[in-house]
Amino acid sequence: MSHPTTNTVVPSICPFCGVGCGMGIQVCDGKVVGVEPQLNHPVSQGKLCTKGWSTPYAVDPIDRITTPLIREGDSFRPASWDEACNTIVEAINAAQQEQGPDAVGVIACARATNEDCYAAQKFARAALHTNNIDHCARICHSPSVAGLRQTLGSGAMTNSISDIALADLLVIFGCDPTSNHTIIGGQIIAAKLAGAKLLVVDPRSTRLAQMADLHLQLRLGTNIALINGLLNIIFDNGWEAREFLDSRCENEAALRRKVEDYPPERVAEITGVPVDKLIAAAKMYSQAQRAMLTYGMGITQYISGTNNVIAISNLALVAGQIGRPGTGINPLRGQNNVQGACDMGALPNVFPGYQDVTDSALRQHFERAWKCALPAQKGLTSLGMTQATLDDSFRCMIIMGEDPVVTDPDQNHVQRALQALDMLVVIELVMTETAKLADVVLPAAAFSEKSGTFTNCERRVKHITAAISPPGEARSDWMILGELATRLGYNGMQWQSAEAVFDEMASLNPLYASMSYAKLIEKSGLQWPCDAAHPDGTPLLHSERFSRGKGRLIAVDHSEIDELPDEAYPLFLTTTRLHFHYGCGSMTRKSPLLERETPVGVLFIHPHDADRLNIRAQDPVRISSRRGTVETRAMLSDELPPGTVAMPYHFKEAPSNQLTNNAQDPVTKMPELKACAVRVEKIEVQEAMPG
Amino acid sequence: MRSYQLENLSQLRSHLGRRGALFEPRQAEDGGELHWLPMVDSAWPHEVEETPLLPLTSPKSFFFKEREQLFYFDGKQFVETLPDIEPQTLFGVRSCDLCAIAYLDQFFAADPYYQKRRQATLLVGIDCLHPCDGGFCRSVDAGPFVREASADLICHRQADGHWLLIASTEAGEEAVQGLELKAANEASLRQRDLRQKEVSEKFPDTSYLHAAIKRINNSDGGVAHTTWDALGLQCLTCSGCTNSCPTCSCFAIFEQTTDEGVARQRCWDSCYFEAFQREASGHNPSGEAGQRVKRYWEHKFSESYAATFGRYGCVGCGRCEKVCPGVIGVHSVTKRLATAS
Repeated sequence: MSHPTTNTVVPSICPFCGVGCGMGIQVCDGKVVGVEPQLNHPVSQGKLCTKGWSTPYAVDPIDRITTPLIREGDSFRPASWDEACNTIVEAINAAQQEQGPDAVGVIACARATNEDCYAAQKFARAALHTNNIDHCARICHSPSVAGLRQTLGSGAMTNSISDIALADLLVIFGCDPTSNHTIIGGQIIAAKLAGAKLLVVDPRSTRLAQMADLHLQLRLGTNIALINGLLNIIFDNGWEAREFLDSRCENEAALRRKVEDYPPERVAEITGVPVDKLIAAAKMYSQAQRAMLTYGMGITQYISGTNNVIAISNLALVAGQIGRPGTGINPLRGQNNVQGACDMGALPNVFPGYQDVTDSALRQHFERAWKCALPAQKGLTSLGMTQATLDDSFRCMIIMGEDPVVTDPDQNHVQRALQALDMLVVIELVMTETAKLADVVLPAAAFSEKSGTFTNCERRVKHITAAISPPGEARSDWMILGELATRLGYNGMQWQSAEAVFDEMASLNPLYASMSYAKLIEKSGLQWPCDAAHPDGTPLLHSERFSRGKGRLIAVDHSEIDELPDEAYPLFLTTTRLHFHYGCGSMTRKSPLLERETPVGVLFIHPHDADRLNIRAQDPVRISSRRGTVETRAMLSDELPPGTVAMPYHFKEAPSNQLTNNAQDPVTKMPELKACAVRVEKIEVQEAMPG
Repeated sequence: MRSYQLENLSQLRSHLGRRGALFEPRQAEDGGELHWLPMVDSAWPHEVEETPLLPLTSPKSFFFKEREQLFYFDGKQFVETLPDIEPQTLFGVRSCDLCAIAYLDQFFAADPYYQKRRQATLLVGIDCLHPCDGGFCRSVDAGPFVREASADLICHRQADGHWLLIASTEAGEEAVQGLELKAANEASLRQRDLRQKEVSEKFPDTSYLHAAIKRINNSDGGVAHTTWDALGLQCLTCSGCTNSCPTCSCFAIFEQTTDEGVARQRCWDSCYFEAFQREASGHNPSGEAGQRVKRYWEHKFSESYAATFGRYGCVGCGRCEKVCPGVIGVHSVTKRLATAS
């Protein structure tokens, strides 16, 4: 057998959520044999969550795709890179000749590197001549990007993670960081133990809600009513940050008028939160010295997602809880590089650095840099591409490392669309449910097998190096896209190294202007904006002025969820994430321990609802919505309010997205993943047992 | 047991490095963290030892692998896959970790995979002359100086900057054959004993730890289940403490299809996982997080385990406190237990 011990430890970044914890990859004879936390990492300080600790399984050579694969009937055959690339290029050329450049598109990946994502959007724009480029930020924080850009001018976490220790009040709005951003969750617990106050706003009685000084257990989808109610109380009592509003914000009068429509009694009725708690929360937040607000999918995954984010922004601006250490508006980003994928312009409306594709001066700037003509119209979103496929105007899609069949709303709709494509190319580590539908599958290198940079949710860009070689013929995404671009006749993507990609990107992205690999390594990462005025980066945004100048208050109204429960579908379904799994589970479910921890699919139901439906723990249940049906097991949980059931979306065996609603936020096309109406039935044993 | 005078550690280290692979705590190239890494040809980097060098990763994975194959079935027969290990040296192991290895030696006494690795390994300990950050070996009889039975060779840096080398086992004695060493005198051994007392006095107060141990053993009113539940709420199930603990030895078994057939593998497990003790029926004797926290600390500090192993299951390295995101490492927990009503 091989050498018994660790040969080396390569510093890297955890490949899961947006916290971006430091991780040493233990390598023995060219294999990843373990990982260890990094004590001197600025964010994680020696800690990892269970997903992080399980990383060796996530990138294990078992089940990895190691050569290009081409569909033959119902199965795949190995192919050379040459043949696979030619097949793809032929299909792209055919589709574009018949239906124009916008008949094709690219889904980039929030867990690929900045270099990969920069290459993906450049490939779409320069090689395919379309702005049809998007990624899964669409279904997590697109409303944060859109909402905060309107109010502050910059759609990212305003403060640094280390500010948690500086706050005297922590507000946790619509998220459970102890499950999904565990190291941040732990820092919140530590701050609470050290004396900070904790205010949790969540329909679920989460772990932090159980520790909180105050928990507002609002009804699903009533965020705006709640916040307008808090603002009403704040204005009514003169608790607003007068000087801050006068000097730093605009449009106060319109907001004041709007929130007059939200007196505490009305808000209590809409949200289910009693008036005394509303008053206590309004006072707590507005009167705190330093209140730091974090939020998650409980704000964004609604058809009111963008307005929810604007409401959050209104609250922080009125209370003056922004622009200082220990305060701010802090969206918790889901993927290790979802901030970076957005920064890179893997979005249909912006170039790298959020520069508008419809602005002709900016476009000309990129045309000169990339030496090609660029499309002037905004492109399609990811769900726009699937819809266009069903409308026969879209024919060829390249998906990098995402599994929309499991993770996007309304699974049947997604599957129909992907099957209708002329050509589906999936660049992946393993055979996901989406890859199984592909015409060509290309083998990708995992994070431990490539160099590049990741940008975490506090805008910190960190450099990683390859710990081992990719298995078989797997390659970094930017190399794959560069090869395809050349074959399509575009020669502007023939980079020789990840660093060359980064340098080109930094020359075009004002937020990254003064960054280089050497500097990132020397400084242990840099937070954007990093430019001539901020050569060492910017840990705190908006300290003197907002990115857009004045902070803009925007009056928004409560709106109902698209699909409310009714007689046929009497329960609310909300979707959640488990601490033990990540996304579609293609990485975490390779760990035998994480896989053991929960059944393959689960419905959480309040004991009262379960009792009424004669359901006991572990009983088989059938959940139906207007779009589909799922069978799984019930687990009783009093963390949910009665009337609301919850499912995690990790399990292909019991996909919650059979049920979810595809209704979308009009601004960002964010689907309403957090709420739809369902019916739950117990499956009788005779029926459940075969034969 | 014999003792020798030693000019410097580099001389010993180079000599031992010629016997086979030698691993030592050193900083990786990025200059940051300490890891167990193979010796490189430069001199021993910590000749003038001022701060104790305890990598965040314990050395247990040299013997008890994080993941390993036990055997495979090729369709016809079962084939055992015992590791084939060349002689190796762990150089610069601290007393806490050596006590932990001695503890694991008992737990894995009949485990051929562990023993194969362990028996091929020479352990060279170094006395710690200062408490390390969060370390409390003194309070749990695991340091700061190396216990004689726990290492093959013990290095002690004397006040004059020279080293005292103690060969405490036959393997240790054999390993230094070929080095021209002068015998140490009795006085240096006595000096070492005096020095240990001096160093021990430098440790911070851990009276809370002793109070907590009493309560865990129910001799001081026990611990209310509400206290365990409050601690359980803080457990984020990361498994960091059990992975990092040098004495934690629980493992899970699973099957994996490989090129050779179906392989039976094992991996480190954690008693903090809800499914760790869940039974096939769904019944779980430790279904609540508080019960799991209680069990973990009982395993570390209960007198009944101490009776079996001859010592507590905690060696005072303090790693669990460093890696725990939920603030329930050993110091946090024992402080809470000491003061809980």
